[in-house]
Amino acid sequence: MTGLIREIRFLASDRAALLWLGIALLVACMSVFLGLREIAAQRAELNELIEIDRTEREVVDALYQDWGEVAYYTFHLTWDSPSDFAFAALGQRDTSPWKHHIRALALEGQIYETDAENPDFALIGRFDFAFAANLLAPLLLILLLHDLRSAERTAGRYEWLSATAASRGSPWFARAVLRVGALALCLIVPLWAGGLPGGAGASTLVAASLVVVLHIAFWWGVCALVDRFGWSSPVNLTALVGAWLALAVIVPAAIRISVEAAVPLPDGGDILLTQREAVNDAWDLPKSATMDPFVERHPEWADYTEISQSFEWKWYYAFQQVGDQTVEPLSRAYREGRIGRDRLAGRLAWLSPPALAERALQAIAGTNMAASLAYEQRVRDYHAALRTYYYPRLFRDEAVSDASIGQRPEFHAMGD
Amino acid sequence: MMSMLLAQALSVVRSGQQVLKDVSFSIAQGEVHALLGGNGAGKSTTLLTFLGFLEPVSGSVHVQGRYVSENVSAARQAIAYLPEAATLYGHLNAYENLRYFLSLAGTDTNRRALDEALDRVALQAVARGMRMHTYSKGMRQKVAIAMAILREAPILLLDEPTSGLDPVAIDEFNRLVRDLAEAGRTILLVTHDVYGACHVADRIDLLHKGELVGAFDRPPGMDRIDTEAVHGAFAKYAGA
Ligand SMILES: Nc1ncnc2c1ncn2[C@@H]1O[C@H](COP(=O)(O)OP(=O)(O)OP(=O)(O)O)[C@@H](O)[C@H]1O
Ligand SMILES: [Mg+2]
Repeated sequence: MTGLIREIRFLASDRAALLWLGIALLVACMSVFLGLREIAAQRAELNELIEIDRTEREVVDALYQDWGEVAYYTFHLTWDSPSDFAFAALGQRDTSPWKHHIRALALEGQIYETDAENPDFALIGRFDFAFAANLLAPLLLILLLHDLRSAERTAGRYEWLSATAASRGSPWFARAVLRVGALALCLIVPLWAGGLPGGAGASTLVAASLVVVLHIAFWWGVCALVDRFGWSSPVNLTALVGAWLALAVIVPAAIRISVEAAVPLPDGGDILLTQREAVNDAWDLPKSATMDPFVERHPEWADYTEISQSFEWKWYYAFQQVGDQTVEPLSRAYREGRIGRDRLAGRLAWLSPPALAERALQAIAGTNMAASLAYEQRVRDYHAALRTYYYPRLFRDEAVSDASIGQRPEFHAMGD
Repeated sequence: MMSMLLAQALSVVRSGQQVLKDVSFSIAQGEVHALLGGNGAGKSTTLLTFLGFLEPVSGSVHVQGRYVSENVSAARQAIAYLPEAATLYGHLNAYENLRYFLSLAGTDTNRRALDEALDRVALQAVARGMRMHTYSKGMRQKVAIAMAILREAPILLLDEPTSGLDPVAIDEFNRLVRDLAEAGRTILLVTHDVYGACHVADRIDLLHKGELVGAFDRPPGMDRIDTEAVHGAFAKYAGA
C-alpha cells in the first residue's frame, strides 16, 4: 500500500508519463465526443426522414386511385437505428448503408444503389473510440513502458533501486501496473462518461471495458517480453514500435488483401446494372417472357397472367420481380461473399490483437458485418411483405380504399 | 566471531572475460575494509556479486553467514549500497529522492531524520529543497551518502563514495565512516584514494586484474595504515 502511494507520487512527478496519459485522455474524450456527435447526427437524420416518410405517404395515398400507381409512387423508409453503444465503434455504419428508400419495384437495385452512391465512405476511416483504444492506445502504452527499466539502467540506478527494494518487491511491477492502469482509466472513464448518459447499458460498457483492458494487457505483455532482453531504451522503442506497426497496421492490411484474394465478391454495382438491364429489356420482350418465369415463382397467380393491353401494372410489377430473379445468383454470391470474407477475416484477426479488439467492439456496438447483413435481410423481408400485400390487389384489380391501404405493412427497425 | 561479509575463492566472469580470480576475504562486524585497485581491477564487480547481481562461476560470497546465491533478498536487505556514479532523480529534490529510496527499502523516516543525515554530510540547507538536476557532482554524492546512512542497514557497500567530494568533505566523510564503524556497522569501501583508505580502513586489500595481490592491516595501537607501503604497492601494479 505504501508502495503504491510512493509510486503514484513518483508517477505524478514524471512529466513524460503524464504527457502520454494526458494525450490518451484527450484522444479518448475526443473520440467519444465525435462518435456521439456522429450518432446523434444519424439519429436526427433518421427522425427527420421518418417524419418526412410518414407525411409523404399520406399525400401519395390520397392522390392515386390505382394500385399500380400507389405501389409505384409510395416510398418506404427502411433504416437501422444505431445502438446506444454505436458511438464507440462506428464500424459498418461508416461503410455500409443503414437507411434505404424502397418501393415495390425491383429490389436488388434499390439495395445496392446506396453502395454506388457512397463510394468515398470507406476511404476516410472514422476517428472513433475503437480507433483510439485499439490503434493509438498501444502506441501510448509503448511510450509509457518502453524505458521503465532501461532508463534506470542508463542512469546507473538499476542495481541501486533493485538492491534497495530487496525482498519488498522491485518498483518495476508497481510502476508498470500504475501506468497500465492509468492508461486504461484514461480510456474507460471517457467511454463510460459518454456511454452511460447516452443510454448504453452497464453490461455493454463492462464488456467493452473488458475488451479494452484485455487488449492493453496484451500490449503490456509485449512490452514485458521486449524488456526481458535488457536492451537500451531506443532499441526497446524501435522493437516495440516495430511490433505495433506489424500487428496494428501490416497484419490487418495483409489480412484484408488475403481475404479479398481468397473470397471473390461480385461488384454491388454489377447487381444494380444487371437488374436494371433485365427490367429495361422486359419492355421490348413478349409478355410471356416475363409472365412465365413470374408464374413459376408464384403459381397462385397463374390464372391472372393474361395481358391484353400494351401496358398493365401487374405485368409491370411482374417484370420488376423477374428482374430481381435474374440477379438472384449474383446477389446471393455477393451476400455469401461478404459473409465468407467476414468469417475468414474473423479467423485471421487472431493474428492481430488490434483487429480482434476492433471486431469485438463492433460486435458489442452492433456495427459489424453481421448487424449490417441482418439489416439488409430486414429490408428484403419488408420488401417481400410489400409484394405479398400488393400482388392480390394488383392481380385481382381491386379498388383502392383507405381500409385496404391501412392494411399495408409498415417497416419496423430492429429494436423499435 | 561471525564474518559479516565473506568471499571464498571467488571467481566471476563477465561477458566471457574472467574479472575476478580466486578472491578471498572476510570482514567482521564493525570493521572498515577498503578495496583498492586501478580501473577495471574488479572492485565494483565484487560489490555487485555480494548483492547477488552477478553469480560466481566458482567460489562463493556470504552475507551475515548466509550464502548469497540462495538468499539474495536477505543479503540485499542487510546491505546499504552506494553505487559508483550514483545518480538520483534529477526532477526530485533531496528530500523526495531520499524518501523514495527509503520507502523502497521499507525504512520509515521523518523530515528531522533526513535533515540530520544531510547535516552529517554537510549538504547546504538551501539546496535540499531544490531539484537535484541543479546539484553539483559533490552535492549529489553527499545525498547518496546520506541515503546509505539513513538505511540503517548493518552493512554498507560503498563504491567510490568520495568521488567528486572536495578535500574538506572527504575528511568529514572519513570521520563519518569511522563513527559508523564504531557504532557497529560493517563497511566495505571501494576507492582509488590511497591516503583516505589508509586513514579509515582497518584493512586494505589490493586488487589487480581480478586478483588480490596485497593486504595491509592497521597495526594494533596505530591510528592508520602505512600510506607509503600501500602507495608503493599500488604504484607498482599500476605501472605493470
Ligand atoms: N557491465 C559489464 N559487462 C561486462 N563486463 C564488464 C561490465 N562492467 C565491467 N566489466 C568488466 O569487468 C572488469 C572489472 O570491472 P569493474 O567495474 O569491477 O572494475 P573496477 O575495479 O570497479 O574499476 P573502476 O575503478 O574503473 O570503477 C573490467 O574488465 C570490465 O571490462
Ligand atoms: Mg568500479
